[in-house]
Amino acid sequence: MIKVEHLSKTYGSTPAIQDVTFAVQPGEILGFLGPNGAGKTTTMRILAGYLPASSGTASIAGYDVHEDSMAVRRSIGYLPETPPLYSEMTVEGFLLFVAQLKGVKSRDRKRKVYSAMERCNLIEKRKVLIRKLSKGFRQRVGIAQAIVHDPPVIILDEPTVGLDPRQIIEVRNLIKSLAGEHTIILSTHILPEVSMTCSRVTIINRGRIVATNTPENLMEQIAGGIGYELEVEGNALTIKKILQVLPEVRLVEAIPAPDLPEKRCLIRVVSERGAEPGDKIASRLVGAGLSLYEMRRTVASLEDVFLELTMEDTLVQG
Amino acid sequence: MGVILGNIVAIYRKELQGYFASPLAYAIAGAFWLLAGFFFLAILLGPDGIIQQAALGDLQGQQQGAPFPPLDVPYEFLRIFLGVMGSLALFILPILSMGLYAEERKRGTLELLATSPVTNWAVAVGKLLGVVTFFITMVLPLLAYEAIAFSASNPPIQPTVPLLAHVGLILLAAAVLSLGMFISSLTDSSILAAFLTFLLIVFLWVSDIIAKSISGPVGEVLGHLSLLKHYNNLVQGILDTSSLILFASYIVLGVFLTAQSIDALRFQRS
Repeated sequence: MIKVEHLSKTYGSTPAIQDVTFAVQPGEILGFLGPNGAGKTTTMRILAGYLPASSGTASIAGYDVHEDSMAVRRSIGYLPETPPLYSEMTVEGFLLFVAQLKGVKSRDRKRKVYSAMERCNLIEKRKVLIRKLSKGFRQRVGIAQAIVHDPPVIILDEPTVGLDPRQIIEVRNLIKSLAGEHTIILSTHILPEVSMTCSRVTIINRGRIVATNTPENLMEQIAGGIGYELEVEGNALTIKKILQVLPEVRLVEAIPAPDLPEKRCLIRVVSERGAEPGDKIASRLVGAGLSLYEMRRTVASLEDVFLELTMEDTLVQG
Repeated sequence: MGVILGNIVAIYRKELQGYFASPLAYAIAGAFWLLAGFFFLAILLGPDGIIQQAALGDLQGQQQGAPFPPLDVPYEFLRIFLGVMGSLALFILPILSMGLYAEERKRGTLELLATSPVTNWAVAVGKLLGVVTFFITMVLPLLAYEAIAFSASNPPIQPTVPLLAHVGLILLAAAVLSLGMFISSLTDSSILAAFLTFLLIVFLWVSDIIAKSISGPVGEVLGHLSLLKHYNNLVQGILDTSSLILFASYIVLGVFLTAQSIDALRFQRS
């Protein structure tokens, strides 16, 4: 549904994105994840046809975003970084205006506006001037204007910015409910958002794609095996030597933990893929006469994945 | 075609709605009506007004025994009054046009317009129609004043003359607003847009005077570009196609440049 190939954009001499390639299948929600300034908004704007790319191509529903701009505009709903709102209009008036602008036929307009307001929980505010709405409601009006004409493709640039936790959950559920019928691409710098809403994730850093996969696969890929956290009394170096002997153990490292009692240390162990050497770790430590105070399994979070991927890239570039 | 027309109407209605909700629009209209009313009174009935001059002329004619050159009060009044209105518009039109695109850019709504299935020129035409309609609303009360004043004139004045003069005023305004809209589309600062538009109008206003001091073809071209000259033609009841074509060209040029600049310049500011 969305196909991006070798897309690059340069502002003056500073490259914003370089050689970005990814694809979104129909009905899918793709999360576009990256730190601030990574090039998320630039990519979204190119997809929406607001910016031209310096090189490379992007197509939506088979139409090139630059060549067939009008056809693309008809098939997308777009929420920019700052919701584009006319503050002197009422919620309903604004949505009617947008519906007309997007080419919704006049007999369908009222119904579609009503359904968009309903989905975004705006019914009670429909006669209120946008100027008088809180930031959360404005953001919802922004989402409503992106879905009012039922576009096959929805592009959301940071849809949950400025919302309170309850609203964030509502918006996430709304986005999830739109999947299937609509193809969605959403950008965010908030990690849990991606693992909760998206079926696939593309991570972008400094204008380059560093990974594209499902959230689960990404975590698996980076973390490899299972992680353990141990609190042991003894010298960290000795413990490392004892545990590295085990063939199932891939990595042993000491985690700085200044608030532990003296002589104790915190150790992180990562197993090889598919192995579960918890019992062996415990028996080796106890066998060596060390006191084991705590041991728990940890699951790699998307956060680890993200940090690892974006850090690596920083190192390469540095 | 129907779709494009629908889009123009949508933008047009949105613009009009914007004026109804805008305190600036009320302030401008209020100031304009106040000043226009003052000038109307001063020019017609003031101590140096037309009627006083005509009376003075009569008196002098009687004293000297020789007939004083007759003064056509209604036409003379129309000429002076609309001349002043034209100058007043010089100050007001940049304020009307300054926000047309600069505000959209600043509020981020240009991103909505530019990613909707609407052509740039449809947006520009809708906006221009909106602001011209607002200006016409500002001019309408003046017509009422004049209708009252002219109803007292004897012999009665031909209604086509004041009508043509006001068509001239509106054409002048549309031309200036169209160019102002283009300037507004170049920046996200309303103040800058207003200032640059003001400079441009002053230049187009006085290019007639500049032209007279430059001889040769350059001066001739400048003279033809002058808004003042063509506006005065219409005010005096001279319906000259070249004037109409000049105003129409300015309007089309403004719309064309606006559409182009939205295409070309939005890319550089993000």
